[in-house]
Amino acid sequence: MAEPVARSPIRQISPTRLLAGWEVSTRRSEASLRLADLTPLSKVMIRTSPEAVRPGQTPFGRAVLRPNGWLEIGSGPGEWMVLGPIGSGDEIVSWMTEHVHDTEQPVTVIDVTHGRALIRLQGTEAASLLAKVCSIDLADHMAPDGCAFRAPVANVVSDLVRNDQNGARTYLIHCERSSGQYLVDTLLDAGAEFGVELEGFPERPF
Amino acid sequence: MTLTAPVSTIRRLPAQPGEVIDRKSTLHFTFDGKSYRGHPGDTIVSALLANGVTVFSRSFKYHRPRGVMVAGYLDPGCTVQVDDEPNVRGAHRRLAAGMAVSSQNVWPSLGFDVAAANDVIGRFLTAGFYYKTFIKPQSLWPLYDKVLSRFAAGGRVSDNGTHGYYDKRYAHPDVLVAGGGPAGMAAAIAAADNGASVMLVDEEYELGGHLRYQPEDRARLAELRQEIAKRTSIEVLVDSVVTGRYDQNWVAVVQRGLPGIHERLIKARAKVLVVAPGLVERPYVFAGNDKPGVMLSTGIRRLINLWAVKPGTSAVVLTANASGDQAVADLARVGVDVARVVDARLGQSVVRARGPKHAVAEVEMSDGTRVAANLLVTATGWTAPTSLINMAGSRPVYDGTAARFFPGSLPDDVLVVGGIVGDGSLDQVTDHAMATGRLAALRAVATRVGWQTQRTWAEPASEPKAIEEIAIPDLPRDPHPELFRSSTHGIVDLNEDVDSKDILMAAREGYDSIELVKRYTTVTMGPNQGKLETINAVATLAEARGETIEEVGTTVWRPPYAPITLGALGGRTWEPVRYSPMQPWHEANGAVHLVAGQWIRPDSYGDPAAEVRNVRENVGIIDVTPLGKLDLRGPDVSHLLNLLYVNKWSKLDVGAVRYGVMCAEDGVVLDDGVTGRLADDWYMMTTTSSGAATVWEWVENWLQTEHPDWKIHVTPVTTGYASINVAGPKTRTLLSRLVDGIDLSPEAFPYMNVRQGRIAGVDCFMWRIGFTGELSYECHVPAGYGLHLWEALLEAGHDLGAAPFGIEAQRIMRLEKGHFIVGQDTDGLTRGFSAGIDWLIKLDKSEFAGKPELVWQSETSDWPRLVALQPIDGGTVPPEASQIVEAGSKIAGRITSSRFSPSLGRSICLGIVDPHLAAAGTEVTVHLPNGRNIRARVMEHHAHLDPEGTRLRG
Repeated sequence: MAEPVARSPIRQISPTRLLAGWEVSTRRSEASLRLADLTPLSKVMIRTSPEAVRPGQTPFGRAVLRPNGWLEIGSGPGEWMVLGPIGSGDEIVSWMTEHVHDTEQPVTVIDVTHGRALIRLQGTEAASLLAKVCSIDLADHMAPDGCAFRAPVANVVSDLVRNDQNGARTYLIHCERSSGQYLVDTLLDAGAEFGVELEGFPERPF
Repeated sequence: MTLTAPVSTIRRLPAQPGEVIDRKSTLHFTFDGKSYRGHPGDTIVSALLANGVTVFSRSFKYHRPRGVMVAGYLDPGCTVQVDDEPNVRGAHRRLAAGMAVSSQNVWPSLGFDVAAANDVIGRFLTAGFYYKTFIKPQSLWPLYDKVLSRFAAGGRVSDNGTHGYYDKRYAHPDVLVAGGGPAGMAAAIAAADNGASVMLVDEEYELGGHLRYQPEDRARLAELRQEIAKRTSIEVLVDSVVTGRYDQNWVAVVQRGLPGIHERLIKARAKVLVVAPGLVERPYVFAGNDKPGVMLSTGIRRLINLWAVKPGTSAVVLTANASGDQAVADLARVGVDVARVVDARLGQSVVRARGPKHAVAEVEMSDGTRVAANLLVTATGWTAPTSLINMAGSRPVYDGTAARFFPGSLPDDVLVVGGIVGDGSLDQVTDHAMATGRLAALRAVATRVGWQTQRTWAEPASEPKAIEEIAIPDLPRDPHPELFRSSTHGIVDLNEDVDSKDILMAAREGYDSIELVKRYTTVTMGPNQGKLETINAVATLAEARGETIEEVGTTVWRPPYAPITLGALGGRTWEPVRYSPMQPWHEANGAVHLVAGQWIRPDSYGDPAAEVRNVRENVGIIDVTPLGKLDLRGPDVSHLLNLLYVNKWSKLDVGAVRYGVMCAEDGVVLDDGVTGRLADDWYMMTTTSSGAATVWEWVENWLQTEHPDWKIHVTPVTTGYASINVAGPKTRTLLSRLVDGIDLSPEAFPYMNVRQGRIAGVDCFMWRIGFTGELSYECHVPAGYGLHLWEALLEAGHDLGAAPFGIEAQRIMRLEKGHFIVGQDTDGLTRGFSAGIDWLIKLDKSEFAGKPELVWQSETSDWPRLVALQPIDGGTVPPEASQIVEAGSKIAGRITSSRFSPSLGRSICLGIVDPHLAAAGTEVTVHLPNGRNIRARVMEHHAHLDPEGTRLRG
């Protein structure tokens, strides 16, 4: 029997390779606007009350990169998402289960890595592309670097995080898995006028 | 035949200062099949005029020849077809190389149009002609409809034509300025200088408004354009039109001229809207006022100064204002013989344009004199297009001194500048606009700061600044004679061919309000939406009623401001579709897909009956990933299950699975599925595929509104797991080759239980359930491994005959087993007991959703029942929704599910029947859609196959 291979819901463009058990594309793009599939990253959801004792204390609506490389996102009132390297899901679940305390509500920590698609949109025109499919005001004062919010993107409920990298405007778009391919197809269609291209799994996702 | 002017009467002038054509380049195009040349910057009509073509269309009703009048967006006589695009405004659309332009609303040709006979019988085609003539007999309405639709005006769209890319975009400008004339430009500059992001929209191809064709203002125009270009916070959209203003300044803009994009609908949420539409020159009503050669003064000035087109050789000019005077000067400058200037300010007027149908030859004055001329120019007043402020709730107010309407009161987030406010010098207009733009910016920024404060993710904002008082200078209103109609009758609405006599007659017939006249005569209802004709229509009605224009009032302008294409409204259709992790395999292996909700699912792999037989005899696998899955955690989950399901859940052991049905408060079946207990405080609920979102909402609604005290977290994990149902007598053999850590024996893993372990090297949980009626295990693995497991099952089961089966095979098997599908075998009226789940409903529970209704239902017996049916003739498969009838035609039920069973070799059904027909053995009559009646027998069990459950419990 073949070794298990984990696959993203998004078609991987060649060339591909296995990275920690996930099939990923290694294609590189020099386009000024690029779309990368970050689905293999570990994604852990934590639910408890907003007043719970949490290590990062990331507030609702913000995303904070922790020193250990985990991106902690305040994705809803009493709801957080932690993104980590591929295969770190168990570690994040254990750490969060141990360190989050709440006297009012149960603490639920669920690894949703396989249940969500995660896309990175990077480039100067990233906001212009999103403005074609998302009704949220993406101006700097309304959606600055480090902000996180939930909104429909091309009619798919998504969590968006602005996560600029080296001055390049960057959005992480996170939706339920089965809509991942549709969302990528739609962003490629909407971004054709900006020359958007797919690129492979990046060295530094965020 | 192409209608042209006599040679050299209309032609291209030498270069004009400020012209917008590029004479260094030539564009070739055709009009009605004949080749012409023009230049970049030309409109279709300016290029045709420069080639001597003077008639471009036929009028809507009377099919009279129509030429250029406005030489702009609102020109009523210049609508043409361009390639496959109908209803193009030829006096606005820029010429492009290779355009195939054709006239529309003509047959067989523009030169000889059969429907022009309407003009001969025009006195019979008065307002209401169609209403009065084609009202009886009613039986002929379909015929009338068919015949009259042939005469409908407009172009044609090819069914096989390519469709352009119609785009959408959202925008959030602080200030949106609708109109890019001098006032709009000045307001935009001031708004930008006061911290606002600005979207400046104009329907022309360049900013400037009337300054573009006024040589005397060129320097000022260049200065304004430079100032706009310097400011990066101003986004300029030209060849674009603001089509509507909706609540909270939701402003729709249609943008054209983008590379590769035919049209883009911009949905802008402007904090402040500045309306700067300028003024529209009003036509004058007199006999012959629609002949080619009758033009507005602004049209003359555009043709000469923008496109260097000489509009005629000899002209009569009726002028009541500076625009007419300037037209006289322009005409004289380019060598047109101005044969007579008729000064309306001195009481002079024209009464008639004479000549053949397609040209002016002579003009008759009010003093009875006649002057030979091929051009009659009128400058008789202005209309402020108050559409957008109407949409903001403002009713315009008429000022007789200025002879036009002005805005009434406005909401704070809508401001007005330019001609819609008043007159005055260019400096006065721009000073007023600058002050207004500054006020707009301050109001917008205050709103923005408020929004930043409300949104947790936004950049923290400083305290909103108090809006300082800004003195907005007044704009004077220049006096203007009230000129609407001469002593003769003529066309009031040049789009719709509505004559002034039509309006007078409508008034006589009792349609004495302007809104009624509008609907009865269709005046102001054409593509220009009243911008040229509203005031003349109001004035004509006022005359008929013996009232003033103030007393008559105006119609209310609603969106759209200008006609909008269906493409722009439809745009890109973002309709999400969902795929399972196994979709690549399904596509590669010939699956026939169906769309179920948003899911794309394999209906079959070619032969559903064979798939059924394989499952019954060997082993099959089906992708059931779309099955809704809710992860429930917390100490109070059993309370929730007891509340939502009709059966009991307090004693569900860890490792057990139970089937449940949910009813809404009205007792109607809402959804069904199984829920398993994976640990003390951890349950997994499944729902129907289509009901997943509804059930999640239902659960959250109960938790958040009724039981916020319960400690439960609900997480939808439908797509977190790839779900594969493995079914058939050889299932256990197949799974034993792949499963680790789970004892699959019937004793260790009985029916309706759940276990966790590994399959094909991947963590999983699986439960033993039996929707197909076979021994089956539903395997759930992390979704990323779905394809791996699917392929592993097929490989490991190759010698067992393992093969995939689709939704159709599953539906056949569940029908054989008598399992109902919510929404298929139930509907919005099917209460719990009607669905045949009496055995499941536990009315002795203290409380659950729908209980009161179900208690009530249990105390009565007059409700329909879901029963299994078998046609007496097993070879007949009654179509689903066939009626069950009695006493001839009385409806007594319907077939809800119906298939031919490969396992039983006969047709089988589920159906809803009236209670007196529900007893086993009863024969009912099924009325088929083809009119035939068949007999069917009510069965003892819902299950047609294996009612004892031997197969699935094996």
